[in-house]
Amino acid sequence: MTKIEAIIQTSRFESVKDALKEAGIEGMTVTDVRGLGRQKGHTEVYRGREYSMDLLPRTKVELVVPDRLVDTAVEVILKSARTGKIGDGKIFLSKIDEVIRIRNEERGEGAL
Amino acid sequence: MKNAARAPCDFRSAPFLLRAVTPAPPLEALRSVCDAGRESIRGDFEARGDSLAALAARSALADRTLDSLAAVLFSTGPSRPAEFSLVAIGGYGRGALFPCSDLDVLLLFADARAAEAASAPGAALVRALWDLGWRAAVTSRLLEECDRFEQDNPEFTISLLDSRFVTGDPALAASLLRKILPALVSREQTAIVRALGEMTRERHAKHGNTLFHLEPNLKDAPGGLRDFDVACWATAVHELSRHRDRAAPESGWAALLGEAAGAAYRFIAAARVFLHFHNGRDDNRLTYDLQEEASARGIGSPGGSPQPVADWMRSYFRHARAISRLAKRALDEAPTRPTLYNAFEDWRARLSNSDFSVHRNRAYCRRPAALEDPAFLLSLYEFIARHGIEPALDTESSVERVLASPGYAPAWPGDPAAAGVSLRRILTLPGAGVSLRAMHRVGLLDAVLPEFRSVDSLVLRDLYHRYTVDEHTLLAIEALHALRHSAAEPHRRFAEILAEVEQPDLLYLSLLLHDVGKGMPGDEHVSASVEAAARATRRLGLTPYERDLVAFLIRNHLEMSLTVQRRDIFDPEVVRVFSELVGTPERLKMLCLLTYADIRSVNPEALTPFKAEMLWQLYAAAANYLSRSVDGARIAGGASSDRELIEVVRGSSALASLAKPLAAFLDGFPRRYLKLHAADEIAAHFEMAHRLEESLVAGEPHAAEAQLRERRGQYEITVIARDRPRLFAGLTGALTDWGMNILKADAFSNRSGLVLDTFVFDDLYGTLTLNPEERGRLLGDVEDVASGRSRHDQPPHRHRAPRGAGARSRSLLPTEIRVDNSCSATSTVLELVARDRPGLLHLVSELLADADCNIEAALIDTQGEKAIDVFYLWRRGKKLDDAEAESLRGALLHGLEQL
Repeated sequence: MTKIEAIIQTSRFESVKDALKEAGIEGMTVTDVRGLGRQKGHTEVYRGREYSMDLLPRTKVELVVPDRLVDTAVEVILKSARTGKIGDGKIFLSKIDEVIRIRNEERGEGAL
Repeated sequence: MKNAARAPCDFRSAPFLLRAVTPAPPLEALRSVCDAGRESIRGDFEARGDSLAALAARSALADRTLDSLAAVLFSTGPSRPAEFSLVAIGGYGRGALFPCSDLDVLLLFADARAAEAASAPGAALVRALWDLGWRAAVTSRLLEECDRFEQDNPEFTISLLDSRFVTGDPALAASLLRKILPALVSREQTAIVRALGEMTRERHAKHGNTLFHLEPNLKDAPGGLRDFDVACWATAVHELSRHRDRAAPESGWAALLGEAAGAAYRFIAAARVFLHFHNGRDDNRLTYDLQEEASARGIGSPGGSPQPVADWMRSYFRHARAISRLAKRALDEAPTRPTLYNAFEDWRARLSNSDFSVHRNRAYCRRPAALEDPAFLLSLYEFIARHGIEPALDTESSVERVLASPGYAPAWPGDPAAAGVSLRRILTLPGAGVSLRAMHRVGLLDAVLPEFRSVDSLVLRDLYHRYTVDEHTLLAIEALHALRHSAAEPHRRFAEILAEVEQPDLLYLSLLLHDVGKGMPGDEHVSASVEAAARATRRLGLTPYERDLVAFLIRNHLEMSLTVQRRDIFDPEVVRVFSELVGTPERLKMLCLLTYADIRSVNPEALTPFKAEMLWQLYAAAANYLSRSVDGARIAGGASSDRELIEVVRGSSALASLAKPLAAFLDGFPRRYLKLHAADEIAAHFEMAHRLEESLVAGEPHAAEAQLRERRGQYEITVIARDRPRLFAGLTGALTDWGMNILKADAFSNRSGLVLDTFVFDDLYGTLTLNPEERGRLLGDVEDVASGRSRHDQPPHRHRAPRGAGARSRSLLPTEIRVDNSCSATSTVLELVARDRPGLLHLVSELLADADCNIEAALIDTQGEKAIDVFYLWRRGKKLDDAEAESLRGALLHGLEQL
């Protein structure tokens, strides 16, 4: 099993969610996050005063999928989250040893 | 209730060994009796729904249990009289023992010897009570200890107000109830009432000071059962200090108020009994699930008939309101000795006038009969809004009687437009929240604005909202008013733009109406709110421009929030689309503030600093876009997209037949012009332009048209003329020579070279206000300059000495000048931020004219001491190159230094 963490533009989240659903991947955890990557912060000058935001808003989508679905999920996220501009985000993959469903203690892929 | 610290007060911690010397009570038999009794009470409640009977029966069962246990544990009997008294206190003392509430008991002794001797039986009593299923909280005190008011434990003295003898020595209990307690209360009435008030305030603050929670706490929230207790306690203090006796609390309440509160108590008590039986613990939160179940079972309803959950919750809120009013009144009327706070309240009494008086921080009407006059009735609520003082309950009752009279039902009997003026005044006054709540409480807000009735106590369930729709709305209005005192970020910057809003009353009115559609049929509340607002604003006599503005704000009240949350607000295209939807800086300010208030009143945590920052970033980006894109989008008079608008303007014009000239007049103006002015204003401009053209055709080369009007304490002059060099500088010079302080200005030109300039200014010297005949002379001077009949080329330093805003000490605000050649296709955009002073705009426009710059468009604004001017410039038909721009920048900086 693999955990996919995708940091994406908030404006792309609905597209990513719909595309994942279409690909048969529905379980996910979503968090509003703030971050700083290659795209630095933003400064707006209003009436002679500077207003800066060092950390920009993004959405983090986390999902754990069976290894056979990793490539599909990544491809779907790449396609649906991409705008082509700097600041589109990143995808992180990591191996998951075990998953346990709290309700009935079921383990493994069946618990996903 | 807190237990006292003095040993041996907490019998649960008594030494285990003491059990050996204490007679064992027949626990098994008693447990059967208690269990059977409790089951029977539960069964009766579920069958008949009589909460008061259930509470009384549980209290009586506890009495019998205590009596039985005491007889065994303390070995009392005819031959051995008791040296203690068991006194029920708190809710149990009132005979209102809820299924999972604590059994509060006072173990009272005459002296320390008796207390020492009862230490082991006392501990055994507590254990036995817990073993029998009672949540016992037993406190021991000597009689003399009860005669002290404990500042750090006021709850104990307050719990004694409900004390009731259960078993033991009746004479000992009588000493407490008939001698000690009346004397203590009489002596400490001020401290007790103050403690009651403070405890109530703290408890209410924990619940956001509102009773309109979507999942309310039936005990502790405002309007909950604890407030009913507070009313009972305050009345008991009153009775004990005056008569040395405790009558039934209801006897001290006004009949109507007591009746409503009694019904409210029965309803909410029934709901709490239901909750306790359902949850099996002292959990008083009425969750969505339990609201469904309680309403389906008709808990608290007459005859136990099922109700739709929305109706059942409306009943709950109506009852909670009644209890809240009762508690307020009881605290108001509770006797107190003079204090500094009283002195402050007495000082507030100076706010009284010939119609209304203020006593102990409550507003009274001196002529209740006059309340039948709708205008006078609304003036009471203006008084309340002006001073932020709650109406006295007597006054409120008078208003309720008036509203229930045939003259007021079913429709508002007064002039709706006059009511509209009054409502708009109330909305902008600092105590608007207090006044609107008071109006809503008695039904007056619904009478003036029937559209608001649809959201009265309306519960809509979602993950975010914590309050009913009406409460959310009133909190939003209060959130905006609170901004006026916000010095901390991120709120301060929103406060700055609130201070700039030209018609804040329309902003508040939009907030008041923005969610009324939630209580109307249909899935989509925004359209329903817009429709309802259209009806309301027409009835209340708003002008077409004002009605459009309110409709725009309500229609788009979710737009800014959605853009912040779901779009990349740093994407210029997102900013462009949003800005073009909004159209003008004034609308942008109002929409931003409405969004701020709307989010802030969803729940106390909804507007996080990050969200506020995002909102501000979008506001700033959109404001910049609007000031830097003025010449980008222009009206094409013949284009199909503009025909509809032209038809609307034609409808407002006496020159309706002149469709072609109207299209030609509008052709080339920035689109922003259309959003800045109402259709009737545009029609008036067109008529001025038409007259100008006729003059020119008639061979009068020096013609111009000017119009002056007074608006909200300021003056506005509109000038239409043929474009020529130094025109803008001449006009600003003429106004400055007249001592006028220009606050705002717009300068636009159309494709045929017609210039339309609008100046809003303060009459610093009162010239026009004190001498109305001077208005004509000012207009004449302006027309002379506009037409070129006279030139105004005096250097700025010859103008009158600055006064008013300009005479203030020099602030540290540095002059900022930015020149941008990228945001307009045809002009160089110059943005200037500087300390405002009379003559500033004239100096700047003279310097621009000296630099041979043509002003294609100008947007002039002031914010307090700050002037914010944006000019669209070109020279000899082209943008300025870098060297020219830098040279102009230097000339402006140098010139402004000299002013």
